[in-house]
Amino acid sequence: MKVKIGPVTRIEGHLNVETTIENNLVTDAHCEGEMFRGFEAFLKGRDPLDAQQITQRICGVCPYAHAIASSYAQEMAYNLEPTPNGRILHNLIQGANHLYDYLLHFYQLCALDFVDVTAIAAYKGRDPSMVQLRDWVKGELASGKAFPAAPFLPRLAGRYIDDPEINLQALKNYLDAMEIQKKANRASAIFGGKFPHATGIFPGGCTQKVSIDLIISYQSLIKETIDFYKLKYIPDVLAVAAGFPEYWNIGRSQGDFLSYGLLPFSPNPQSQRLLAAGVLSDGRVETVNFEKIMEDVKYSRYSSPSGLKVREGKLIPDPHKKSAYSWIKAPRYDGRMVEVGPAARVLVDYSSNNNQRLRELVDRYAGLAGIQPMQLNSVLGRHLCRALCGLVIGEFLLQESERLDLGSSSMAKFEVPATGEGFGATEASRGALLHYIRLKDHKIEKYECVVPTTWNCSPRDDNDQPGAMETALLSTRVENPEEQIESVRIVHSFDPCLACAVH
Amino acid sequence: MQIKRRQFLKMAASLSVGFGLGGFSGPVAAALKSLDSKKIPRLIYLQGLSCTGCSISLLQSENPSPLSMITDYSQLLFHADLSAASGSLALEVVDSFISGNAGEYFLAVEGAIPEAMPEACMLGDKTFARYIEDAAKTMAGVVAIGTCATFGGIPAAEGNLTGAVSLQEFYRKRNLEPLMITLPGCPVHPDWVWHTITHIVKAGIPKLNKYASPELFFGKKVHDNCPRYHSFQEEIMAENLGDEGCLFKVGCLGPDTLADCPTRWWNGGQTWCVDANAPCIGCSAPIFAKKRDFPFYRHSHSA
Repeated sequence: MKVKIGPVTRIEGHLNVETTIENNLVTDAHCEGEMFRGFEAFLKGRDPLDAQQITQRICGVCPYAHAIASSYAQEMAYNLEPTPNGRILHNLIQGANHLYDYLLHFYQLCALDFVDVTAIAAYKGRDPSMVQLRDWVKGELASGKAFPAAPFLPRLAGRYIDDPEINLQALKNYLDAMEIQKKANRASAIFGGKFPHATGIFPGGCTQKVSIDLIISYQSLIKETIDFYKLKYIPDVLAVAAGFPEYWNIGRSQGDFLSYGLLPFSPNPQSQRLLAAGVLSDGRVETVNFEKIMEDVKYSRYSSPSGLKVREGKLIPDPHKKSAYSWIKAPRYDGRMVEVGPAARVLVDYSSNNNQRLRELVDRYAGLAGIQPMQLNSVLGRHLCRALCGLVIGEFLLQESERLDLGSSSMAKFEVPATGEGFGATEASRGALLHYIRLKDHKIEKYECVVPTTWNCSPRDDNDQPGAMETALLSTRVENPEEQIESVRIVHSFDPCLACAVH
Repeated sequence: MQIKRRQFLKMAASLSVGFGLGGFSGPVAAALKSLDSKKIPRLIYLQGLSCTGCSISLLQSENPSPLSMITDYSQLLFHADLSAASGSLALEVVDSFISGNAGEYFLAVEGAIPEAMPEACMLGDKTFARYIEDAAKTMAGVVAIGTCATFGGIPAAEGNLTGAVSLQEFYRKRNLEPLMITLPGCPVHPDWVWHTITHIVKAGIPKLNKYASPELFFGKKVHDNCPRYHSFQEEIMAENLGDEGCLFKVGCLGPDTLADCPTRWWNGGQTWCVDANAPCIGCSAPIFAKKRDFPFYRHSHSA
């Protein structure tokens, strides 16, 4: 039987998933992106410097990644290098955005898939926010309302953690994470101007001047965030893993892995990055070549040609296209389906033997969990990879902020040329993000974005090859085919962002 | 915007009862007593052509905290980013209010509506537009959250393919006149939303400007309260992006933008655009991002 499990909540945007269930097993899945705005159409003809502002509005969850990708693309098109301070500020802003985003994802978006929120009713302690939540939940449950304790109830049927201590600790951390994510965002806003949607990020650097007081505030906020990662977030991931160890083997995507690398060490765009770029296929890492990326639309709601390279991209919407089931295009790398995101980021870096701190963390925690590194391609693996990436990023941000030069400019002077083109590639929290810009007469002639969830939630390509999430859902055993909490856990582990995927 | 007395009472009742009647003027309190006091403030939050930036901004609230807003100041019946339920279980909650008779509620809408291409935004099997239209029959009122819902915003930028419109325009075309408060901003500031709700609960509907936005937040231009107003008067002007001084010559839209950013600041009072030397791009203004030929940084070629 076919069951739609959407609209999927606790993600960004409009996603439906049609599953086929036979004998309580998922035998087929179709990811349906259900919202289209058409950024590439309305960017055309605009001033190029509008791009890092407008593309941030692709996604209000990871706007800074778009501003950075757009700035990189423009830097290439303008033949411009940012000042050393400018590049460091780009890194400080983007890195802090990752720290907030992982927390929001694990706690606010995913925790309720595992944690029993009703456990709060038995809370005996005196923590003010816990008492506030307990009294509210108890009052709600006793109220006789149709939908008590919304939006935390109702919830899908299934097994939740039954250890009261673990539940209460996780709920406490759910509440505390809401406070800590604000601090990570305050840190990035110091140099970005505000969060979401920074106004201070430009090709060539940032408008904010560096000063001791700003650096100290930034470091203090990041330190507090890292402490939460070490003391709460990573232990909570392990606690969930202990309660649901089968999820090291559930949700495995069946393709390759792609990462563009994150946080360059110098203004030179070719410089080494904190986390490495590459395409991982059968244990071997290839260098990324943007010319090998093509977007198919056989099953997407567009009448524009299929299989176009990024620089040739076209966008003609066809909402009633018969064969189509999604607004998401199907990007493929050299014809291959890939997963992007935290697991790809970690596996590419680990297989490249790039970041030794990350390698040490992966070995330690994979050892603790009793898994092989390739099992990071799983529901729990994606959760663990986020937490470990966050720790590595956070530690780097503290060192990086020490490299700011107080007397120097944060912003390179430049002129927008009449013509030029550029690619900008980085890692958004959800994975590999590529922007392409081409200028004509000082205006944008073409702008293209290939965004993380475009890869992960892609529909079938022209060869009927399913997308990463579609394959990750296959063979999943579901207790309740109507609700499928198991499938929802898999979908959540990718942290889909549909506003990004379609844009 | 003219607000009818009946609409106000309905709205105040649906938002206020958790607090009792304290804080209301005598006649209002008396009128409210005649309404069902067991009703609690209920909110259904839907997203259209949006980026979720406004929802993420709401989570950056400091006082009250996001938790307090959910437990004390509103009954958040549905929000796609927080609701535990998904699929048909989630739609059941939404439908029971919008298409059913589950009781009074307020609609909060983030994002624009694809008027010329309704299939460009779906919620389950129905178009988002359909939900918004149906809600007009059952809701006590609607709050437009952010610039997309208020003015169309970026999805409605020149050259867009979906015919995106604001909530006001959507209802105007259908000759519907629901009670509406608009809270622009790209994103909206969390205070603008939460303080509007608490203001209604405690003191009634705040005074609204011609765009139906509270004057409390949207009564003055950014430029009027700008800490760099002095630089402007002394003609200390930034010539290039990244310079200090008045940012007018690098494109600042503070003189054209209603918002209290210069006094409120962002992210818990940490900063705001101009403090980071970034020109105001007019993100709460009706013209925000609309015209191709009106770039954000209008002196950029000479910068």
